[in-house]
Parts: sequence; structure tokens; C-alpha cells
Amino acid sequence: MKVLLSRLGWALFVVWSVVTITFFVEAVLPADPARMVAGAQARPVDVDRIRKQLGLDAPITTRYAIYMRRLVHLAPSSAPANAKDHAGCVAFGPIHVDLGRSYDQRRPVAVILGERLPRTVALAIAAMFVQLAIGIFSGVIAALRKGTALDTGVVAMSLIGVSAPTFILGVFLQFLFGHKLRWLPLDGFGTTTLDHLKSIVLPALTLGIFGASYYTRLVRDEMIVLMKTDYVRTARAKGASFTRAVLAHALRNALVPLATVVALDLGALVGGAIVTETLFRWPGLGALSVTALVNRDGPVVMGTVIVTSCAIVLANLIADSVYVLLDPRVRRS
Amino acid sequence: MRRAAAVAFVLFSGTGCSDPLAAPLPSAHGEDAAPRHGGTLRLASFGDIRTLDPAAVSDQLADEPVQLLFAGLVDFDANGKVFPDLAEKIETSADGLAYTFTLRPGVLFHDGTELTAADVKRSAERSLHPDSPSPTGAFFEGIAGEPEYTQKKAEHIAGITVGGKYVVTFHLAKADATFLTLLALHPLRPVCKSAGDRYSDSWMPCGAGPFKLLPGGWDRGRSLTLVRNESYFRPGQPYLDAVTFLYNVNIVTERFKFEAGEIDAIRDLTQADTVHYLTDERWKPLGEFEAAHSMFGESMNTEMAPFDNVEVRRAVAAAIDRDHLRLLRSANIVPTGHALPPDVNGYNAEIPGQKYDYDAALLHMKKAGYAYDPKTKTGGYPHRLVYTAYQQGSSEYGAVVIQQDLAKIGIDLDIRIVSFGTYLATTHRRHTSAISPQGWSQDYPDASDFYESLFLSRAINDEDTGNTSFYKNPELDRILDDAHREMDAKKRQALYDHAEIILRDDAPWAFTYAFRWYDVHQPYVHALAPHATWVWDIEHTWLDRAIGGISRGSVIRDFSFGSILGSASRRGAPK
Repeated sequence: MKVLLSRLGWALFVVWSVVTITFFVEAVLPADPARMVAGAQARPVDVDRIRKQLGLDAPITTRYAIYMRRLVHLAPSSAPANAKDHAGCVAFGPIHVDLGRSYDQRRPVAVILGERLPRTVALAIAAMFVQLAIGIFSGVIAALRKGTALDTGVVAMSLIGVSAPTFILGVFLQFLFGHKLRWLPLDGFGTTTLDHLKSIVLPALTLGIFGASYYTRLVRDEMIVLMKTDYVRTARAKGASFTRAVLAHALRNALVPLATVVALDLGALVGGAIVTETLFRWPGLGALSVTALVNRDGPVVMGTVIVTSCAIVLANLIADSVYVLLDPRVRRS
Repeated sequence: MRRAAAVAFVLFSGTGCSDPLAAPLPSAHGEDAAPRHGGTLRLASFGDIRTLDPAAVSDQLADEPVQLLFAGLVDFDANGKVFPDLAEKIETSADGLAYTFTLRPGVLFHDGTELTAADVKRSAERSLHPDSPSPTGAFFEGIAGEPEYTQKKAEHIAGITVGGKYVVTFHLAKADATFLTLLALHPLRPVCKSAGDRYSDSWMPCGAGPFKLLPGGWDRGRSLTLVRNESYFRPGQPYLDAVTFLYNVNIVTERFKFEAGEIDAIRDLTQADTVHYLTDERWKPLGEFEAAHSMFGESMNTEMAPFDNVEVRRAVAAAIDRDHLRLLRSANIVPTGHALPPDVNGYNAEIPGQKYDYDAALLHMKKAGYAYDPKTKTGGYPHRLVYTAYQQGSSEYGAVVIQQDLAKIGIDLDIRIVSFGTYLATTHRRHTSAISPQGWSQDYPDASDFYESLFLSRAINDEDTGNTSFYKNPELDRILDDAHREMDAKKRQALYDHAEIILRDDAPWAFTYAFRWYDVHQPYVHALAPHATWVWDIEHTWLDRAIGGISRGSVIRDFSFGSILGSASRRGAPK
């Protein structure tokens, strides 16, 4: 329990640090958010008025204090959702989280993130599924056929996969399956469940193939070492089938280092896959964060940073937990 | 407002898919078929819209749907001329200080309530209220009582008076030749009573335009669907059942969608695709250039050396070979040496503009005291100048062209590429940027928008300056003020001609090029033409499509590698 509390305390500290650094970095950038809202050609008098409306005329420390005070605050559980001071809050009982209002969209950031986050999580999970399926399968095959043409082919393909940027791979997949073959939607999210499923294939493949290349090499290298270990040979000597020796003894151990990487990758994916989401018009956090950054939409930038940092911190905690579950030695120690 | 950036984005997309073009999708009936009702027009853009409230709209992309949702007292026709729209009659007082509009009776808002003169006043006050986020409030400060209202010294704008159910008068503090033009813009367009007296972020857009927004019609960041307003005051119009806009679409994907019949017209084309559509005989009749309403140039800070010397500015204006810049995007860039783009009211082609003349440029450098010898490459301005450009677009690539041209007269530029926001902050601050690329797209189709925003001494600010060259010329100020008030078109043109000559010779900018978009539509799309102020003229558009979308998997029947990556059975060889 003590360890858990200590880790949670560190996690909160990390998130607070990230939020604070981002706030000040974002605030001192030379570009003027009010100008970006008003447009490049707006007259200065209009830009000034908008700057005041957005509260950007206040000193940076005041803005920081207001932001942090509102970020997590207490409110009566009975506070109506549409109450003026709490309209943009996410309520966890009496604890309210207020991420502010987007300068650009003029809506609560929490609402915007609430729309985007599930879609990014869905894409992250789908991409991870592709990554794991391809990575583990091809890694195991390559390891078992070490030194053969198949192994060379798999290694070569993984090298190409890891070298090809997602925008090249994505455009190629879109061109082939969306434009030429017309099997899958070119982009978008669709309106029905079937649409969603079809629409997620290409972005998930784009992210998945890229990530799978690394997993392939990782699993292959682990499996080659593990297949030569005493306990795998002992298992075979005691009558375990080849398949059982591979799956239950070698692969299970190969998954231990992979699990850590998977958890961290999942955390990063939840932060949003900027290029892939933009290319496929997938309405997730990645596309949102890049737009917010370009438009100097501070509250949205802060919101995406908070979600991303929380996701990565959480992923680290999960990685540690999974490690304990997969490796009895860690549990015992 | 983000037009320059939008142009820049397209310019950046200099390369593109070289895949052969698919054949146009046929129309069901012949060219002489009568307009038909029905169908949904689908358009797409790489950009996104922020709002549909006329009181807050700040980007060109939103102009199109806002135009469809909200009718105005006056509007622009396809050629940019102002015509009465909701107004049945417009009377102007002899001194030009009062405009009285008599409304069409019986015009209904989308919610079924009648539009009256009181709604016109309420909508204008809602938009111009100091708590409104309107980025264009300054356009209307000439309305009598507007300054008191925006300073919260008055409850209402005294200069807008209601003279009956259908009569409203706008009183101006001083004569303004641009007033009707400004009124034809979106900010003051009447909004439904549900909008209330004050701006609210949560209001659902509702006006008296030909299309209306239904709940759920706007999926932010993805699409917007507007449906026909059955009670629109022009009988029989519009022809379309609906218009759908897709946003944030990659421009290569846009082309794929266009060929598949998933969108009906396309505007965001890569340079390669623009050339493809321009040169393909099947597509050529279906494409059209929009009027050029954006202009670009090199702004030289007249308060900073060496551009405080007019001879250096003249040298720069003469040293830039506009044809070099044209090659950045040959189909869309129109080289010019004028301060106005060719299709803006007030442009006069008969006045010679700045032009490339290398010998003259060297002579101007010599007169400035910075003689440069091109043979020995000695002389010139002795200090390196920072040239701040922004990522993406003409700015980034044009910077290299400008750097090379100016090096030939002994001016050495140090190019700094920054984000668009940083670029704006840096180049619009006093004593910060000696020379920078600048652009301007029309807010409204009139010369005053360009001249007054960019060159009036009143447009100078320490931060956020509009006049980036910090150019001060009392004579030009007087001419532009006179022109702003002058109601006689001929006299006004003569004043602007004079202004153009002053700017050409004083060269606060080296004017370089105007930009025009190229639009293509499918043959079954009729009466969809570029609009001089909004992007498209959609109100009269009708569809006559012979077939549905291209079914999935129907294109490739030969699954050979070459077929998949090269040609498909539906395709014909491009001519």
C-alpha cells in the first residue's frame, strides 16, 4: 500500500510538473492567441477586445493561479450541470475538473476532449491489436526459422516497416484500399457502428504496421535466446510438444519485456497519433492537439497535455503491474 | 481572415499525386435541361470552421455556410456588386449620412417567426456589443452612436433607428462610400429572436437564408449539413435539398473523393493536380479560375535601415523578378506590381505598376549609397537582414526566391522560418522586422480594404500593426480619407489611381503577385460558379446526376499489380 501511495504521489507530481511547464511555455510563446482567434487581418481594436474577453490581458501568474484553482476544485454535488461556474466542469462527486474553454471553438475543453478521447482510445486499442498480432506472429515465425529465407524476409520487412514514416504508409494504404480498390473508406469516422469499424481499419493498420515492425524484432530476438534456454529444452525432454514449449514456455517469457513496451506505447497512442489522425480525418486527440497548437488555443493544448500525461503516467503504472503479474520472480521479490 | 494562410497551405502542396485523372461522372440530361430540384451538394476543404454565428465569424471558410444560413439587407452578387436582398428598397439621404431600408414583408426566419426592422436593429446591436467576440466590429464604427455603445456609454446604438415594422435607418457619423459594401458582409445580418440581444456561444444558428441548420447538422471538425429552407423568401429556390461540407480533409484525399463522386466539386488542388485538370480536355470545360482577391509582396519597414531610404525600397521593387515567383505555382499565381489584386474594385490596369528592371535596381542602390558591382560581387548594403517567413507555403519557398533576387543587388537576407503565429507577432511589431513577406486578402471587395488596412498611418501600432511597413505619408492619408467619403465613382477611382502611383513610387512594399484559386466540378453539377466574395455561388446550383457513387470494388477488375497501381477499367487515357 505504501509503495502504491508513493507511486501515486509521484504520478501526481509528474502531471503537475508537466501542466505547469506547459502552461508557462505556451504562455510565453511570441504568437498572440487573440490575434489567432480574430484572424490575421482583424483590426487591432477588435483583437484588443477579444484579448480582454479571453482574459489574456491579465499577468501570466494571475492566469496560472486562476487556471490551477479552477483545474481541480470542490463544488456542491448538487451543483446543476448547467450552472454558469460549472458548465464546463467534469464532476466526480464534489470534485470538479475544469479545463477551461477553447478559444477557437468557444466550448468547454472537457466537452471537446470527451468527444475526442473515446475515438483516440478506440484507435489506440485497434492499432495495438494490429501491432501485437503482426509483431508476435512474425517474430515467433522468424525466430523458429532463424537463418532461413523466411527469417531474412521477415527481418527485412520489419526494417522497411520501421523505416517508413506513417504518412507514407498511410497514404499508400489509403491510395490502395480506399482509392483504387475502394474496399474501405478513404477517411472519416462514419455514422454507424459498421462505418466506424470500416473506418478504423486503415488508420489502425497504418499505426499497427509501423509499430509491429519493432515488436517483430523484439519478439524474434527474445525467442531466439529463450528457445535455447535450459527450461525450454527440459520441457521438451519431459515430453512437452513443440507448440507447447514455444507458446507456454518460450513465448510467455518473451512477452515480459514486450508488456512493458506495449503499456508505454498504449499510453503514447492515447496521446494521439497526429499524422495518422490528420491523414484519415480520424476525430481524435492527435489531430485536435496539432490544430490547437497551430492556432495557439491554449486551453485545448493544456487539456490534451493533461490527458496525454495522465495516460502515460497511468501506462507506466500498468506496465509495472503487468510486469509483476507476468514474472513471478518480481512478485516474490 | 485566414485566407493568406489558406493560400499558403495550397502553395505548400506544390507536389501531388500524379495518378491519371478519372473520367468525369456524367449528367443525366443534356446541357439544355431545365433546373431540377433535389439532391445534396457535397464539398470538402482541408480547413475547418470555428463558428456559424455571423457575429463571431472570422475565417473565409465559414463565410460560405454563413452566407447560406443568413440573408442580409444587402448582399453581393456573383460579381461582387451589392444588391438589395432582404431590403425591398434602399434610400440614401442627399448628404450620404442616412440609409433607409424598407424590408420585404413576410420574410420568415428558419424558426417561422417574421423578420422585422426591430430584428435588424437587435441583430446589429448583438453583433457590435462590446461583449461580442466579433473580429470585424471596427468596420462599423462609422455608424452614429456605435463608439458610445461599444464603450458601454449607451444602451443602444443611436444611429440605428426603427421607423415601423419594415423600415430601419442607419445614420452615419460621416459619409462612407463603403457602407453598403460593409453591410453586405455577414456581421450585421439578422438573426432569429432565439439569438437574443447578446452573443452566446450556445446559440444554434438560425437566420433567414436559403438553407437552415437542423440539430445535429454540425459535427465539429468533420462535417456540416445544411438543409433547404422551405420558407425561403425567393420562391422556388434553392434547388438543392441540402449542402454538405466536409472539413479537415487531406487535399489528396479530396481528389480521391472527387473522382469517386463522394464530393461534387473541388477547390483544394495540389499544383500537379491543378495542371492535370487544366490540361485534360475532358475536365477543362468543368474548371474555372476564381477572381484574384489576394495579393502578396515584400513589406519593407520604413523606420528601419536600410528601408528608411526610399531608393533602397525602389531597388528592391525593381530587383524582384515576379516571374520567378510565378513558378512556385504557375497556374494560380498572377505576377503583378500593383497594390491591388486585378479583380478588386479600384484596380486600374492602365496605371503601370512596379516592375522588374535589374539595371534600374542597381541604379537605385547606387543612389542610396550602397552601389553594388555584380561582376565582382562587391558593395551593396553591408549588413545582413533578417527575413522572417512562416512555415508552409509561398512564404517559405518564396523567401528563397527573394533572397536570390536581392543578393544580385547586394542585399543579403538571413531567412528565419517560424510558425504562422510567431510570424504574425514578429512582423507586426514596431522596430522588429526590416523586411518580411506579407499578404492581404479582401475582407470586402473594395480598394479601401487594401489601401487603408496596409498603408494608412492610422493603421500603425507598436504591436499588432496593420501597416507593417510603418509607412507614413500625410498626402496618401488625405487621399484615402477623401476616397473613403467620395460617393462619385469616377472621382473615387481617380483618387485611388493617385494612391496607387504614390505607393508604386514610394514602395513601402514591393508588390509581387496575386493569387487565384482553380475550381473544378463534376458535369452533373450545374450553376456552381465561383463567387466574387464568398467561395461558391450555391444558391442557384442544381444537380442532375446520372449515377450514384462509384461502388466499392467496382473499379478494379484486373488485380494485377500494374492495374492496382496504374490504371483502372473505368479510366480512359488522359488526353
